[in-house]
Amino acid sequence: MTDLVPVLVVLVPAIPLVGAGLALLARTARQADRLAMATAVVTAVAALILACTAFARGGRAALHGRWYLVDGASGLLLAVIAVVGLCSALVSPSYLRTSGRSWTTAARSRSLYYAALFVFWAALLAVPVAGNLAVVWLIVEATTAASALLVAFTGRRRALDAGWKYLVLTTLGLSVALLGIIVLAIGQANAGHHDLHALDWPTLRHAAHTLPKDPTLIAFVLLLAGLAAKIGWAPVHNWLPDAHSEAPAPISAMLSAALLPTVLLIAWRVKQTLEPSVGVATTRAVFIAFGLTSMLVAIPFLWQSLPWKRLLAYSSLEHMGVIALGIGFGTPLAIAGVVIHVAGHALAKALGFYAALPLLRIDSDAGRRAPTGVAGESPTTAAAMGISLAALAGLPPSPLFLSELLIVLGGVAAGQVVVTAVAVLALALGFLGLLHALIEGVIGEKPAHPRRRPERGQRTTVALTAILGTGLLALFAAGVLLVNSSFVETLTRGTL
Amino acid sequence: MSGVLVTVILLFGLAVIVVRRRSVAIGLVAAQSLALGIGALGLAGGRSGDYLVASFVLLTKAVVLPVLLYALIRRTPEPRLVVAANGPLVRLAGAGAVALCAGLLMPPLGLGNSHTEHAAVALVLIGIAIVVARRPLLFQLLGLIVAENGLALLAVSVPGGLSYVVEIGALFDLAMVVTVAAAFAHRIHVELGTGDTERLGGLRD
Repeated sequence: MTDLVPVLVVLVPAIPLVGAGLALLARTARQADRLAMATAVVTAVAALILACTAFARGGRAALHGRWYLVDGASGLLLAVIAVVGLCSALVSPSYLRTSGRSWTTAARSRSLYYAALFVFWAALLAVPVAGNLAVVWLIVEATTAASALLVAFTGRRRALDAGWKYLVLTTLGLSVALLGIIVLAIGQANAGHHDLHALDWPTLRHAAHTLPKDPTLIAFVLLLAGLAAKIGWAPVHNWLPDAHSEAPAPISAMLSAALLPTVLLIAWRVKQTLEPSVGVATTRAVFIAFGLTSMLVAIPFLWQSLPWKRLLAYSSLEHMGVIALGIGFGTPLAIAGVVIHVAGHALAKALGFYAALPLLRIDSDAGRRAPTGVAGESPTTAAAMGISLAALAGLPPSPLFLSELLIVLGGVAAGQVVVTAVAVLALALGFLGLLHALIEGVIGEKPAHPRRRPERGQRTTVALTAILGTGLLALFAAGVLLVNSSFVETLTRGTL
Repeated sequence: MSGVLVTVILLFGLAVIVVRRRSVAIGLVAAQSLALGIGALGLAGGRSGDYLVASFVLLTKAVVLPVLLYALIRRTPEPRLVVAANGPLVRLAGAGAVALCAGLLMPPLGLGNSHTEHAAVALVLIGIAIVVARRPLLFQLLGLIVAENGLALLAVSVPGGLSYVVEIGALFDLAMVVTVAAAFAHRIHVELGTGDTERLGGLRD
């Protein structure tokens, strides 16, 4: 199976790129939809085969060639991106049928939507397997251009505002990260390593202890600060709630469930790579600082009555904080929690955003105000929203309950008792905020004067709720087996 | 790269935060990219091919991006001047303070040429300052390019040069971002009749 890896590493991002080109050639909406479905299925299958190959290696060392690196973390992210990308592509025709206004003419909008979606998906799939820091930066920058167009797809003023903010802030952030990469390149050049491969993950890891301490520390801080803007860590998260709430729901799902953890993987790799030079205490402190800040900043927003997608966006801020905290603790328990959290958050958050499609169909004002009593008018939509929200809040048997418990225990094991106590408090407050939204918005009383259209065509919602809900339960069971596995041990030790 | 040329490149960046006319600002950024390209070309003699690629990339940037941006301002005429929140002297003082802080606080990055290191970091910060201080969309876009020119200044000064894959890739990415941003600017102008970002803001919690 490992013989296939070099081929799959090329094929996985290449298939959606070809799909993007074909989407532009589609003559009718029906043709574009069919092409998109076929491309999405083939892409997801190829990506899942590659992910399974990485998982099957268990605790063994990473596979790497001249341009690629496949390890357990690559497998995890590939699986997440494949599943979320496939689901987003599958619900897109339903979104496009009812979206109404778009940036371009109606005839072109469908083709351009699919082209941008597949370019974005291709770039996301390339990140976890790229074996070089500079190349990873180039790919992440490419995701910005494609996804900014999708954020502003409707062409409405608020969507344009969100798209512009996203484009400018994340590009500036990535400029800061590139400054960090150049500082690392200077250190490597001074040590006699001039070519591009001086910035390969394994090369950097092996050379880290010989790199000058102060410039490497500056590079680390610049890289983390720059990537934070793209991950959406507080305090550089301003674009996140706007982009997630204004983008089409399938794209919001990709942004939150796939893009954020994918960029977080880069930050994690940077930590593993530069730790020998920068020191464990410093890298741990930076991750914990970003993690705790993000969790604390999210709380007041989780307590507000916000429109559904905006609430989910602030929940992303909280969950990226939880993942950062787990990586910062760096103990086997915390890393097991991180693995489960990345996957569980992706499934629950994607389901939440897909639920926004029928929600907006039955109540067009749901994009501007908090939903109320959805269960009374659309039980299927309410079920999707309820499962998503309960899972995100960490209500057992949500895998996020298990992952948060593991991260907390990992924090105690790391000797970070005060940080862990603050994190537990933040998690409890976040839980109460989401529980309030669940009670008021989903299972609460119907509004006195509903202005809603009757629900129809709910097959997609039912199917996605069943599949993703089952996935969440399966993840809870698998998560229990993950603790103390060689897979987690290798991730904790570092695979680079 | 000579100290005088580096200073000139820095001054071009500072000037962008002061000028009022969009066409003048584009000209300044084009001149800055051109100066960078000439500086990189000067370093290329007898050294690795990566320097030559870097020079080519920077010269391309000096021509292609300004042409694209000039086309944009022709398509998005402003009915009246966008009033800045702060006067040009305040903006200049702010950006100058940022540049000075970079010089005073930035520890050595390992290049062995503190003037270039400080100028490069100052340019990145000035780029960020332009995005923060200027309201018109086009100026915010120029802020991104100024910051990127700061990175290019540091990149061409790396001993042995930065790989051509990164140079060309970064140019491709920048061109893609500028193209998308230009499309945004055009669409926003159609929607609002102006490129004033203050008019966009409506997303608050």
